Amino acid sequence: MEGGGNSKGTGLGGLFGAGGVGYSHADLAGVPRTLGKYEGVSLICFVFPQDTDEFILPTGANKTRGRFELAFFTIGGCCMTGAAFGALNGLRLGLKETQNMAWSKPRNVQILNMVTRQGALWANTLGSLALLYSAFGVIIEKTRGAEDDLNTIAAGTLTGMLYKSTGGVRGIARGGIVGLTLTGLYALYNNWEHMKGSIARQSL
Amino acid sequence: MEEYAREPCPWRIVDDCGGAFTMGAIGGGIFQAIKGFRNSPVGVNHRLRGSLTAIKTRAPQLGGSFAVWGGLFSMIDCSMVRMRGKEDPWNSITSGALTGAILAARNGPVAMVGSAAMGGILLALIEGAGILLTRFASTQFPNGPQFSDDPSQLQPSPFSDYRQYQ
Repeated sequence: MEGGGNSKGTGLGGLFGAGGVGYSHADLAGVPRTLGKYEGVSLICFVFPQDTDEFILPTGANKTRGRFELAFFTIGGCCMTGAAFGALNGLRLGLKETQNMAWSKPRNVQILNMVTRQGALWANTLGSLALLYSAFGVIIEKTRGAEDDLNTIAAGTLTGMLYKSTGGVRGIARGGIVGLTLTGLYALYNNWEHMKGSIARQSL
Repeated sequence: MEEYAREPCPWRIVDDCGGAFTMGAIGGGIFQAIKGFRNSPVGVNHRLRGSLTAIKTRAPQLGGSFAVWGGLFSMIDCSMVRMRGKEDPWNSITSGALTGAILAARNGPVAMVGSAAMGGILLALIEGAGILLTRFASTQFPNGPQFSDDPSQLQPSPFSDYRQYQ
């Protein structure tokens, strides 16, 4: 890869547009998206692009390249997923609710209202969950000074607890358990794929 | 955030959407906390509860509105990068104006024009600040990376020109 202009180190390169000074289209095709974040780091990342969470950092690199860099992407992804899912859900609900209406303008408007309302609702909910999760993840990573799956699980549990914190002790417990389960499953999945062999993950 | 380079184009939409959501939710959270505190009945307990309720109901909504703005803006920005083949402040300004116009489309043409002007001016201010900052920084570090000396930049490709203005 033509990394000549990109190995300038982490200092100025990141400020002045290390965002891929000149990749041709053929180079960009088929490269995982994590490349974009680490183009300013070193050539090591080019040779072995890792998956999102467990990348190899060259020694001396900035620690904030962990969760904070991914936070916005996580939040945006969750928000968009929520919007898409909510729109589908709204379509389903709207069709169900207006089942015995004739195909007419009021029916369309009603379905459309349902779609937009559900889409906004789900997008907001998932987005704020992702925001809380990312914030907790960054805070935990900063305070611990380490980055592993334990952070993920702790952040998920705390997110669940805070999100349900207005529902009393029972609500807190339930939210914490849900968060723990979900992030635990995610961590297991991650590790399982990691254990299964890094060969499959490194294939471009 | 000193080393934050923007993402390559298709993923920038998600990134911008998330950033906008974060900004809206946190800003809205602070704002609604104050507003809920002031609008509640007397008594610290009531006021804190009112503030919490206001945050819970309003902050995600504001974040969602910001996310829509950011996502639409980024989509238009990326389309313009693709169509024009280059990335400069005019892209951002135009997409800001277009985003404002599109999101005000249901309020009539007058509102669309006003909103578009707002978006364009806002983005122009941001871009101008970014250019000034870059210029200032490059006078401070005169041996910074030179874009034009990079030989790999000469290849023509739609997404190749990633010089950063902000």
